[in-house]
Amino acid sequence: MIGRWLRFLLLTAFCLGSSVATAELVVVVNARSGVAAMTRNEVINIFFGRNRQFFNGTEVQPVDLVDANPQRAQFYRLLVGKDLSEINAYWSRQIFTGRMQAPPRVDSSEDVLKWVAARPGGIGFVELSRADARVRVVYELKP
Amino acid sequence: MFMLKRSDRSGAGRRAVILAACLQVFAAGGVQAEDEGNFTVRGFGTLGAVRTTTDDVEFVRDLSQARGATDEWTAKTDSVLGLQADWQATPQWLVAVQAISRYDQHRSFNPQLAWAFVKYDPTPNLSLRAGRLGTEFFMMADSRWVGYSFLTVRPPGDYFWYLPFYSIHGGDVALTLPLGEGIVRGKAFYGLSRGSIPLGDEQWNIRNSPMAGGYLEYQSGHWQVRGSYANIRFEHDLPVATVMAKKGLTLSAADADYLRARGTRTHYYSFGVVYDRGPVQAQLMLNHIEQGSHALESSDAAYFLFGYRLADWTPYLGYSTVRSHRRGRSASAVVNYVMEDSHSDQDTVFAGVRWDFARNVALKAQWDGVRGSAASLFPYRRDDRANWDGRMNVFSMSLDFVF
Repeated sequence: MIGRWLRFLLLTAFCLGSSVATAELVVVVNARSGVAAMTRNEVINIFFGRNRQFFNGTEVQPVDLVDANPQRAQFYRLLVGKDLSEINAYWSRQIFTGRMQAPPRVDSSEDVLKWVAARPGGIGFVELSRADARVRVVYELKP
Repeated sequence: MFMLKRSDRSGAGRRAVILAACLQVFAAGGVQAEDEGNFTVRGFGTLGAVRTTTDDVEFVRDLSQARGATDEWTAKTDSVLGLQADWQATPQWLVAVQAISRYDQHRSFNPQLAWAFVKYDPTPNLSLRAGRLGTEFFMMADSRWVGYSFLTVRPPGDYFWYLPFYSIHGGDVALTLPLGEGIVRGKAFYGLSRGSIPLGDEQWNIRNSPMAGGYLEYQSGHWQVRGSYANIRFEHDLPVATVMAKKGLTLSAADADYLRARGTRTHYYSFGVVYDRGPVQAQLMLNHIEQGSHALESSDAAYFLFGYRLADWTPYLGYSTVRSHRRGRSASAVVNYVMEDSHSDQDTVFAGVRWDFARNVALKAQWDGVRGSAASLFPYRRDDRANWDGRMNVFSMSLDFVF
């Protein structure tokens, strides 16, 4: 009995806590991309520039957020458990060896949605509540 | 570096123009990578300080440096400033130029045009580059000067000392293929080497020496595994005769022929595993270098590095080792002297911490305990053979940044 109450309380506290601190983030693609779902490793491969196309051959066009947007730090913490300094260190290696450029960065979720909706290979991340008919949710990052 | 310096030995003109142009673009542009089809200028740098506990040898970052650190603090060894301009003309075409200023084989910080290349990606998984390119003889070899991109103050010396090659005039091709949830990546390059390697007060010209190589890599989840191979065929002999003459020794024709480097080929094999998961970073690298010239000993080296991030702090611990293989004694004392100079036999334990205290800036402090034999001379400069006992401690601090 006590155990059940405790679990309820903890769950409530967890939900309240998480809804205040961090929203649930989702990875979204262009609704016409033909991609229905992705695995964590597939998402990692795309956001780290390792793979530049979807399984159907469409070239991916990822978009990232600026450091000032707290969702950027949250996204990489949930996806790979890394701090932004480590993400930026990773990209500095790619850029300064001439291997590849980092995904462009925009300011807000609305900019991400616009980017993804405007490009067949568009892929980005937003809060679950912001994902609308323009995009398709292919991966959920639980806080 | 060599080309630029030799063709412009007298005036600072051309060097200054390159740097000024880069700085001007940077100052005027206020450039950020925010959109495609544009022009960006970015940079990286390190302010480093290093000292050892001996003045019997000079400690260098790699054999491209003519002089190194002793038991007094110096900022020369690790400090660097790099500026890079990228023009993404279309999603397929990229033009990149990088200028770098660091302590070099001519004992100067004169800016060098590190790379200038055109990159063309005909498909998302195929990439072609041509021009002046960085070489990736070993994993991470082409980002050795971008301190912000790695954990330690400098890449482990026992593993990287023997790699004074930085760029080629040539081309490379890289192909990426998904395999399961992982990615296979292969790369091949060919080109002509540039520059020179300091030897005593002389320079070993490695210009126009053909280099070829490639690697195959598999990356899945937290794991990355890579095997690579490269070779270089030297076009010029080591300046052994001149160096020996300064020591009052004469190199006979027979000895010169025995120590010949011209026309010999050196092979580089390496294997690396990287594990990167959340706060954990671990690397294991092995290499084997097969030298073609009798003047240089073949060697095996390895390093292991483990780091664990705690908030903004990442303490790390590592071990590296290098052993070279003697070719036997010669009847000539001069030949023996030269061959001894390329011997290495030592282990290094290193420990340090990286502190990411601000955005795009990291502060590092590191200790290296070098424990080797007194015959381990190759990694160093200006060795005092009579006193060097193969043991020293190295203390380093660096401030690494990107912008």
